[in-house]
Amino acid sequence: MTRIMLGSAVLRGTVVGVLTASLMSTSALGAPPVDLNKWSPEYVRSIAGTQDFDTAADCGKVTPLDYKGRLTFWYQGVFEGDPDLLRQYYKDFFETFRKTYPNIQLEEQALTYNDLLDKFRTALLGNAAPMAVRLQILGGTEFAAKGYLQPLKPEDVGYSTEDFWPGALKAVTWDGVSYGIPTNNETMAFIWNADIFKRAGLDPDKAPATWDDVVKYSKQIHDKLGIAGYGLVARKNAGNTPYRFMPQLWAYGGGVFDEATASPTYKEVQLDSPQSKAALQASYDMYVRDKSVPVSALTNQQADNQPLFLAGQLGMMISHPSDYNVMLDLQKKATGTDKDKAQTVIDNMRYGLIPTGPDGKRAVVFGGSNIHILKPEYVEGGKVDEPAAKAIICMWTSPEWSLKMAYAGSNPGNLNGFKTKWMKERLDSIKFLDVTTSMLPYGIPFPALPQSPEIMNIIIPDMLQNALTGAMTVDQAADDAAQKVKDLMGGL
Amino acid sequence: MTIVTGKTEARRRLHPGMSGMLRKIWEHRADYAYVLPAIAIMLIVIAYPIYYTIELSFFSTPPGLQLRDKTFIGFDNYTAILTSAVFWKVTWNTLIWTVGSTLISFVLGFAAALALHRDFIGRGVLRAILIIPWVISAVAASYIWKWIYHSDFGIIGAVLVGLGLADRPPNFIDSVSTVLPSLIVVNIWREFPFAMIMMMAGLQTVPDQLLRAAKVDGANAWQRFWHVTFPHLSNVSTVTILLLAVANFNSFIIPWIMTGGGPSNASHIWITHIYELAFGRQRWGVASAYSVLLFLILMTLGYFYVRALSGNERKERGA
Repeated sequence: MTRIMLGSAVLRGTVVGVLTASLMSTSALGAPPVDLNKWSPEYVRSIAGTQDFDTAADCGKVTPLDYKGRLTFWYQGVFEGDPDLLRQYYKDFFETFRKTYPNIQLEEQALTYNDLLDKFRTALLGNAAPMAVRLQILGGTEFAAKGYLQPLKPEDVGYSTEDFWPGALKAVTWDGVSYGIPTNNETMAFIWNADIFKRAGLDPDKAPATWDDVVKYSKQIHDKLGIAGYGLVARKNAGNTPYRFMPQLWAYGGGVFDEATASPTYKEVQLDSPQSKAALQASYDMYVRDKSVPVSALTNQQADNQPLFLAGQLGMMISHPSDYNVMLDLQKKATGTDKDKAQTVIDNMRYGLIPTGPDGKRAVVFGGSNIHILKPEYVEGGKVDEPAAKAIICMWTSPEWSLKMAYAGSNPGNLNGFKTKWMKERLDSIKFLDVTTSMLPYGIPFPALPQSPEIMNIIIPDMLQNALTGAMTVDQAADDAAQKVKDLMGGL
Repeated sequence: MTIVTGKTEARRRLHPGMSGMLRKIWEHRADYAYVLPAIAIMLIVIAYPIYYTIELSFFSTPPGLQLRDKTFIGFDNYTAILTSAVFWKVTWNTLIWTVGSTLISFVLGFAAALALHRDFIGRGVLRAILIIPWVISAVAASYIWKWIYHSDFGIIGAVLVGLGLADRPPNFIDSVSTVLPSLIVVNIWREFPFAMIMMMAGLQTVPDQLLRAAKVDGANAWQRFWHVTFPHLSNVSTVTILLLAVANFNSFIIPWIMTGGGPSNASHIWITHIYELAFGRQRWGVASAYSVLLFLILMTLGYFYVRALSGNERKERGA
């Protein structure tokens, strides 16, 4: 039923087409391996398993398999909110790399999303960075603009620009030059507990259509059942916050700048617009007026919402399809009656498209990660082993591994990944995957600016916290945030 | 009056151009050679970072540029700090945090030390239990307390709701008015054992015969404490309070892990604010200026600490 509902939603309206086009640059209109204009769950199913790829042979053309070298590599790895399945794929990747390139001495280091930027910045100041790094999509422009990264495009590791989502390539482009390659791209979805909906007197098979509905449903769930309705997240310095608030901001017609338009210029700050304030007001209404969301939202991350949801104490949240696997992992660890309760929640877990704004606008963060090579002067020892770096980048961004490393959570950065047999297997084994692939055309990348990490990780959460704690009114919080962005862009 | 021996006079004649300190160094040159490697390491790992921080505090470091692209702006960073509203908020938070944590930790630690100074069955076990918070890693303790305080499914909230004492769990760390006191409680829980150990050590030095004499003279328990025990502990108390104050002023782990300075900067103290300015917002110049100010405050406290220690030594020598 969900699939039918989603399929029709995706095919409906011209919004999809416009947003898809916004994700496609003119350069991508050549011959992409996947026809983005046909994007729908059915189309994704139709291309899955239609092509075979030999990763070792392909990467051997970039860096010979007997190449002898040494590589230091940092990457944004799995964290407590990820499923065990993903942990296993990460382990498999590094084992396979070492087998494929037995003479490359690899020194890898995994860091969590929230720690990576701080540590990487510090290492760069001391010229002690790794030779290659996989960063969150938010970070690429900052380091490219500061001159830390080497130019790097898909062709440098044996692929073509058309093999990647054009929207993702924007996030690694600075001043017209590409400085990295996308490893994975993600769009989240809306999750709800059908049993809670039913007990609260809501239609259990219908997600809230608009953000105003989310506010209304959240209150109804809280008032009738005494539990939290929507899993709001407003922690500072946590990637989870912008990933959940920005879709709301964009849906109401707001934005930090004009990043939600087809050709953003990032010139005018719009955080203090009436539309942006309406989005903030919706969060205020849920947290302060209705008290219908977790009180801990100000110090919580999504990883804290997961146990709440599994315990049947939370009705709705935004996350990846991997949350279904996380719930299964958590359920296995539960004991006694908790195990049965958790199973009931899992059976009632539903995924849908993220709600629209009052004008029917639907949006989601076009997230993901990119992989980069550093300039030698910023690397410990002053040398970069480029062939070794390209070997690991070729493998990670290959159709096979870009899919496997995004198996439960997101989507392959390399569009050819959708054609592999593993995609077919994934569609059959990962529940609700259709929903996030359906959300991809609604994806809006973060502003491709070096200031984006501070805006998203500090200014936006500060705005939310100022409004939700009553330290400022909604208007004051939005105006304050807009001024901070203006100051930041002015170099202050 | 200075007594000049024949030996020192001979040395003075040997190096007539040297001032007193230089001459002493020359005379002990072999000793200095032994400690030279340690001094060199200290200069690299302590003196240079201090110098670089001071230097950086006079530069503008725009977040969009590399640190090497900094521009000299004199005292502008200091002016910007002292005229910003955040500075005064963070300073006020730091004062509440430092004074509250230090004094309450000291009083509780002192009380525990007095209680444990008496001989009773199970004293050793109780002493070991009370020391546990101090030996637990601050990171682990912060996560445990975050869970205890959790505004939706924390232990305290669950107990209060379960006992019918509250309709919903109290909001400890998600409210601007309760977050700082809540963090101070965690800090006190972790620090009072340190004060307890220090004061227990101090209590060992109180002469037993004086206490017995006071008792024979008819002094009650309070009078014995106030007129005999407490005066003997004044130096160790000063040192303990100063050490706690320095540690608290510089305390980072608990507020950063539990709240990250939030919500709405309500639990930002100097050190967490400096960290966010430097590593989150890359305002290295402003963060350095903050650090220089913090350094001066801590050095002032350090001066009093050294004076207190010197006072102890003088008293011991006098005794």
